[in-house]
This record gives sequence, structure tokens and C-alpha cells, in this order.
Amino acid sequence: MSARPASIPWPAVLRRLVVAVASLALVAVLVFLTFEWLADPAALRLGRGASPEARESLRVAMGLDRSFGTRLLEHVARAITFDFGASQARGAPAGPLMLQALGPTLAYALPGWLLGTAAAVNGGLAAARRRAVDRALSGLSTAVLSTSSVIVVVLAQHVLAHRLGWFPVLGWPLAGADKSPLAYVMLPALVWALLQWGPDVRHYRAVFERELAAPHLDGLRARGVPERRIAGHVLRAAVGPVVARIGQRISHVVVGSVVIEELFNIPGLGALLVAAIHEADAALVQAIAVATAAVTIAGQALCDAVVWWIDPRVRRRDVN
Amino acid sequence: MRLMLGGRLALLGLGGFAVLASGAAAGLWAQAWDVPVGRPYMSPGTAAWLGTDALGYDLFAQVVQGARVSLVAGVGGAAGAVAVGGLLGAWAGLRGGWTDRLLSGATDAFAAVPPVVALLAMALALGPGVATVVVAIAVTQWTGVFRAARAEGQRLRVADYYRAAEAMGAGALHQIGWHVVPALRPVLLSALVVLFAHAVKVEALLAYLGASAPELPSWGKLLARSGSELARGVWWPTVAASAPLALLVLCAQVLADSSARRPE
Repeated sequence: MSARPASIPWPAVLRRLVVAVASLALVAVLVFLTFEWLADPAALRLGRGASPEARESLRVAMGLDRSFGTRLLEHVARAITFDFGASQARGAPAGPLMLQALGPTLAYALPGWLLGTAAAVNGGLAAARRRAVDRALSGLSTAVLSTSSVIVVVLAQHVLAHRLGWFPVLGWPLAGADKSPLAYVMLPALVWALLQWGPDVRHYRAVFERELAAPHLDGLRARGVPERRIAGHVLRAAVGPVVARIGQRISHVVVGSVVIEELFNIPGLGALLVAAIHEADAALVQAIAVATAAVTIAGQALCDAVVWWIDPRVRRRDVN
Repeated sequence: MRLMLGGRLALLGLGGFAVLASGAAAGLWAQAWDVPVGRPYMSPGTAAWLGTDALGYDLFAQVVQGARVSLVAGVGGAAGAVAVGGLLGAWAGLRGGWTDRLLSGATDAFAAVPPVVALLAMALALGPGVATVVVAIAVTQWTGVFRAARAEGQRLRVADYYRAAEAMGAGALHQIGWHVVPALRPVLLSALVVLFAHAVKVEALLAYLGASAPELPSWGKLLARSGSELARGVWWPTVAASAPLALLVLCAQVLADSSARRPE
């Protein structure tokens, strides 16, 4: 850290806020176009066999006979204030339904995310430094990347839970289980970590390879600085790209994995999303889309702030 | 494009899949996929090479037919995403100014929606089908291509040869044909292969969730049933569906890696 604390660049912060609100409005517009322009909400709700009269009367009841512009403005205004209306299939407000499902998702996705990130950063650093490690890890990463998440989850569940019995096959603590909640979270978290590790380790390897080639490290080595401390320098210089990648993953953590939740029977956000799709519940899908977009934008801003705080080059605008 | 041995093998593998799929589509082989050929859950043998499923349908024929959907979704989705992202990205990068700011802002907002949410919302709005899968993949995957193409366009905009041609009065068509397309080609080609691998996986996921082609067999659909069958000791549907899926994506992945690593 520099001795003089840098002042926060308020104009840039203000600009980011304006862009964030605009982005959220744009997301709401996209959702609106998907559900009210690409598809007819009344037809979605009634299914394929509905008569044109029934569809028309539902359109009037849902207020779909008003002008396109009015509905668009109303929709966007409501969405950016996080008022999503009631879920059509469940009758309850969509917002609380979504928050309720967020708990189980975070319970396995957050540990999986931490584990996957730690393993990928360490693996990337090791691979960038040693050729043998690089061969092994990039082979493993290619294998993970080539395997669809469906296969990974099916196989992990079958081998580790079914055959070996190391973990409960499926279920969730709320369902009156005999094992500790931790047991149920462990295997989904491990699978999550593996799925995330596959692409991430390649990314981090590329980042560290670039940083390890930096000339200032030769200077340090020439002065006899031990490799262990050089790794510290590399890590600090690589903070920007690493944190950016971690930030990208935040949106994934919030939605969870649809496949993991389906196969392990976890009542999380991914499972709720799939259910909402099957029930053609537009309000719930909208709520999930806008809320996760908001979290993504906030997470991105947080990561930028962290990089700005840690990396003096960013503060001085040496690198962007 | 010069490729190393792995890349050539991968290309050969992809070609094999293409032959398999087009033959199945043309009606040359694997036609007995929607009629029972034996008892339910026959294990692999001479009667049915990969065994039969819960209804006694031949799994081998289903797997070969499944290659059709996977390849169409992969190629179509990747091509759509590269076309949209490449065009918008090159335009934003070359024009700069407000065009760039607006397009980049819109792309960031687009990218803020988690892909799974966008995919499933598109699937709901458009109804199940191969076209839905292609559109959904293109719509959700173009943002990465946009960024790469935009960066390349920005580099080109300040390049001496580009500005010299501009100063000499080169028209838009000349610039596009002589400078823009050649500059963007490596970026877009590698994006195409990477997105193909990704799109094949996305198709499997959508098929698994019941949003892909309802009238054709697909690997994702086979996988959706295989989890519970595996628990009962019926392992061959899982293998039949996952082996070709993994092999196809592996080919694309290896090709992507070896084309990215080629000497400058």
C-alpha cells in the first residue's frame, strides 16, 4: 500500500452507478421482449390447447390489450425497483419465493466456489511454473471441459454416493434427515468445485504464465530472492485478472447449477428456475433474471473496487 | 491453418461425427431408432450393439441419430454467436465513440444475465425444438465474441496500414475485404471452435431439461433417463449417451487448443 491513501474517484463511481441502473433497465427490457414479444404470455399460461376466446379474455384480464409502450415502461419501472409481482403458478410474490430458494443454493455453491477457486489458482500457478505439472493438469482440465456437467453429476452421484456410500445419494436437511446437514452439502460442493476448476485452471495458468515472464522477477531472482517470495510477487501482480475471474463466477454461484440441483434434489434457485420454466411462470423467471443480473453487476463493481484497492497500478491508471 | 498431430486427429474425429450424422439424416443407416427391436434393457450384444433402453429401442441407432441434433446445435449456435458478436464487435471497435460506448454498454448488460437463465427463458418463450436451441445458444454466447472482435477492431482502427488506406480514399468494402476480415479471421475462427464445444454441451443440457428437439433422439435426453437406470445396474444407456458426447466435445476442445497454440 502506498503511504498516501488514494482518494476515491467519485466521478467514476457515479458513472458506474448510472451505468448499473441503465444495465438493469436494459435487462428488464430484454426480459420483457422475451416474454411479451417473442411469446404470448396468455398462450404460455393456458397451454397449447386453449381456445382463442379464452386466450383473448385472459389477455384482457392480464392487461395485455394495452399499448406496447405503456406495458414496456411499466414493466421496466417495476423491475428496476425489484417489484416482480406474484408468481402465476404459485400465487405467492415472486421475490420472497426466490430468496427462499437462494439459501440451499448458496449452501453448496459458495463452498464449492471457494474450493474450486483455491484449487484453480494453486493449480494454475503450479502449472505455469513446472512443465510436468502443466501436462498433468491441462490433461485433467481438458477431460473436465469435455465432459458435460450432466455426465459429471450422474457419475459422481453413482460412484461416490451410490456405490461407495461416502455421501448421501440425495436429499436436503429440511426433509427430516438423519445425517448432519454438512453431509448433504459436501458432494454437491465437490462436484461444483470440479466443474468450475476445469475452465478456471486454464485461465489462471495463462495469467500466471504472463506474470512469471515479467522482467522485474528476473531482477528479484538476480538478487537472490527465494522462489517462495517471488510467488508472492506474482500473486500480487496477478490480482487484477484473478479477481475479475472470481467476479465472473459470482453470477454462477447465485443461480446455482441446474443439473446439480435436479439430480441431488436440492430445493435451490436452479431447481426453482427449471420448475418456473416448466410451469411457464413468467413472473418468477423475470424475478430470477433481474435479481441475478443485479447481483452480477454489483459483484463486478465490488471486484473492480477490490482491484483498485489492492493494485496501485490501477489507481495510477498505468493499466486499465 | 497448420495444426499439430492432436489438432489433425481432432479434425478427423469431427469429420467422422459429421459423416455419421449426415448419413443418419439422409436415411442411410440407424433408421430403426423409433421402433422396438427387442426386450427392454437388453445388455449390449450382437442383437443390439449398445443394448436397448426401457422400451426396447435400439440404443446404437438412437446414439447415431442423436449426433444430428448435437452437430446442428453446435454448428448453428456457434455460427450464430460468432456472426452476431463478430459483426457488432467489429463495428463497435472500428467506429469508436458513442457507437462503441452504446454497444459495449448493451453487451455488458446482456452479459449480466446468467446464461442459464437466458437459455431457459428463451426455451420457454420459443417452445422446444432444434431452432430454439440454436437461437438460445447464439443469443447467450455472442458477448464473448463481441469483446474479442471489438478489441481487434480497436487495434485495427489505429493501425498504420488501415489509416493509410483510409487516407488514400479506400471505400468501406475494400477496407472490409482487405483489412477487417483478415484481421478478424483468427479471432473468429478460434471463437467458432470454442463455442462449438460449448454449444454441444449446452444442447445436451437443454435436452436433459426437455427443451431440445422433441421429435429426435438426443444424447442429453438419453442422459436424463440414465441416472435412475444406473442406480438399478443398467449401465449401458449412460455409457451410450455420455461416450459420444464427451468424445465430440473433446475433439472440438483439442482442435480449439491446438489452433490457439499455433505459431504466430
